[in-house]
Amino acid sequence: MESVSLTAAAIISFSEELEDKSSVFYDELADRWVENKEAFQTFSKEGGKNKTWVVRTYQETISDALEATFSFEGLNLEDYSVETTLAEDASYAEALEMAIALEEKVCEFYLEVAKRSESLLATIPGAFRRVAKRRNKRKLKLQSMLDKA
Amino acid sequence: MTVLEEPIKEVLHLKNYIDGEWVESEGEIKDVVNPATGKTIAKVPISTEGEINEAVEAAKEAYPDWRRTPPLARARCLFRLKELLEENFEEVSRIQTVEHGKTIDESRGETRRGIEMVEVATGIPSLMMGYNLEDIASGMDEYLIRQPLGVFGIIGPFNFPFMVPLWFAPFAVATGNCIVLKPSSEDPISQVKIVELAEEAGIPPGVWSIVHGGRTVVSGMLDHPDIEGICFVGSTPVGRDVIYRRCGETGKRVIVMCGAKNFALVMPDADLDRTMAACMTSFYGNTGQRCLANANLVIVGEGLSEQEYDAFYKKVVDAFVAAASRIRMGYGLDDTIHMGPLRDARKKQTVLRYIEKGIEEGATLTLDGRQFELVGDLPDTCFVGPTVFEDVTLDMAIAREEIFGPVAGIMKASGLQEAIDMIHQIPFGNAASIFTGSGKWAREFQYSVECGNIGINTGIAAPMAFFPFSGMKDSFFGTLHGQGREAIRFFTESKVVIQRWF
Repeated sequence: MESVSLTAAAIISFSEELEDKSSVFYDELADRWVENKEAFQTFSKEGGKNKTWVVRTYQETISDALEATFSFEGLNLEDYSVETTLAEDASYAEALEMAIALEEKVCEFYLEVAKRSESLLATIPGAFRRVAKRRNKRKLKLQSMLDKA
Repeated sequence: MTVLEEPIKEVLHLKNYIDGEWVESEGEIKDVVNPATGKTIAKVPISTEGEINEAVEAAKEAYPDWRRTPPLARARCLFRLKELLEENFEEVSRIQTVEHGKTIDESRGETRRGIEMVEVATGIPSLMMGYNLEDIASGMDEYLIRQPLGVFGIIGPFNFPFMVPLWFAPFAVATGNCIVLKPSSEDPISQVKIVELAEEAGIPPGVWSIVHGGRTVVSGMLDHPDIEGICFVGSTPVGRDVIYRRCGETGKRVIVMCGAKNFALVMPDADLDRTMAACMTSFYGNTGQRCLANANLVIVGEGLSEQEYDAFYKKVVDAFVAAASRIRMGYGLDDTIHMGPLRDARKKQTVLRYIEKGIEEGATLTLDGRQFELVGDLPDTCFVGPTVFEDVTLDMAIAREEIFGPVAGIMKASGLQEAIDMIHQIPFGNAASIFTGSGKWAREFQYSVECGNIGINTGIAAPMAFFPFSGMKDSFFGTLHGQGREAIRFFTESKVVIQRWF
């Protein structure tokens, strides 16, 4: 995707896409590594919560902060596209490494859009930061799972 | 890039909603056209005098029972309506985009504002309370009761087809009145959706009716002896010379919200990045078709030398033009689009005439909106690009008249007082904004400027649902405004009771 000044709607759509993809990815991990099924299922469910949180914040704030032509200037969403297709023969450690990379990328996205939306009402960057924090915690948990693997 | 799914799959045949029934009109039928694609999305009737009379009669019959419905029960209907609107948030937003042309962000913003009106009106048991005082004389008490009046007519504009009628409707209904609403025949679909949800929410037949149409319906409302008051949002000539005058003659209450020509002042200490972001929303949001849009940008040189002012002026203009040039135009359902089309081709012609007039009058066309690129394969019938004029002076039509399109006029002022005087030379008084880091300048601005809605470091001074939507001079006719407590007062009569018991 080319670098254009993106609308708020485009950012929200992308955030929803990231959360949906992540949830599908963690569902697959839950199916393949049943010993950690609960943890992966929790991550998957969190995706739905993150999505609800971001969309709700956007829909409840948009009249004040994000009207019309507000733009996320110069953001290239391709920089934040994530790989969620797990190879058939991927090992548990490889799957965790992929999950950690996913979390890093997603976290980077949320922090970047939080920074770029500083001029809006504080609830907007606040919502992005809250999700970034949650995803960062998840990354630490995945790291610890990898260390134990 | 995501192009969202269209919410209307086949051409809708709209009906009036009278006495809780969807009824065919006998009037002529008009097309509702999606201005971005040129496709007909609905057929709307232009109702007859008999049909508006029928709706008023039904509302009059519904009124006694609705008035006697406890405020809490009325509020519950509005709570259900609010929930239904939330559930249908995305659908009603997309309807606005296809019927009006605005971007999906703008539509969602409009939906939110509209829902907030319903949300605030749910507080009616508290909002409608009167007041009392014991012992106004020995052994005597006095209290004030607010009572509804009967039937009100609401006439909606095309530019905010979902939100504007909600500045009035939920407050009227919450206070125990019945309404007959005429949506704009240019984009009536979102109001139809609201009434479908109002019906589902349990608002009884006759309380909230819709009659589609044009002048006949408006005249029918104005002349009907059983309509107690009118709420109108539209142009100044119609609002002042037709609606306000006729309501005076027939003794109706009236809220008439009209045209505007709003100024934004940029002071030398303004945060330029944030100012420009706010200006883009203000000047070009809703493709300039909003009464709170700023149209004249005044670059103020308070405290600057001539040389400093020239540099400041250039910096502001360069930033403004650069930001305006980056605006992507296309179909509002494409979520990468910043600006959609004007509502129809006639409006485009009006804007083009003003651009030509600006050139004839001697303004400098710095950014020509007649030349533009569209994202996607769309007819250019209703599109005009962001336009910027420099060297605009107050004697020019483009500085004084409401263009209602994406045209910005840039002006110069040596100081704050000169800029305020410029605002006062315009007949309108809807809104004005100042961008500054100085509390002193901001206070002076808000204190002196004769406009109803003042923005300080905000480009769109849009009052929230719990404040009145104000307006002065040729932008407003009436006494009480829509929204909030003023709307409660507008839709109720104050009755005073003085009592003594022997």
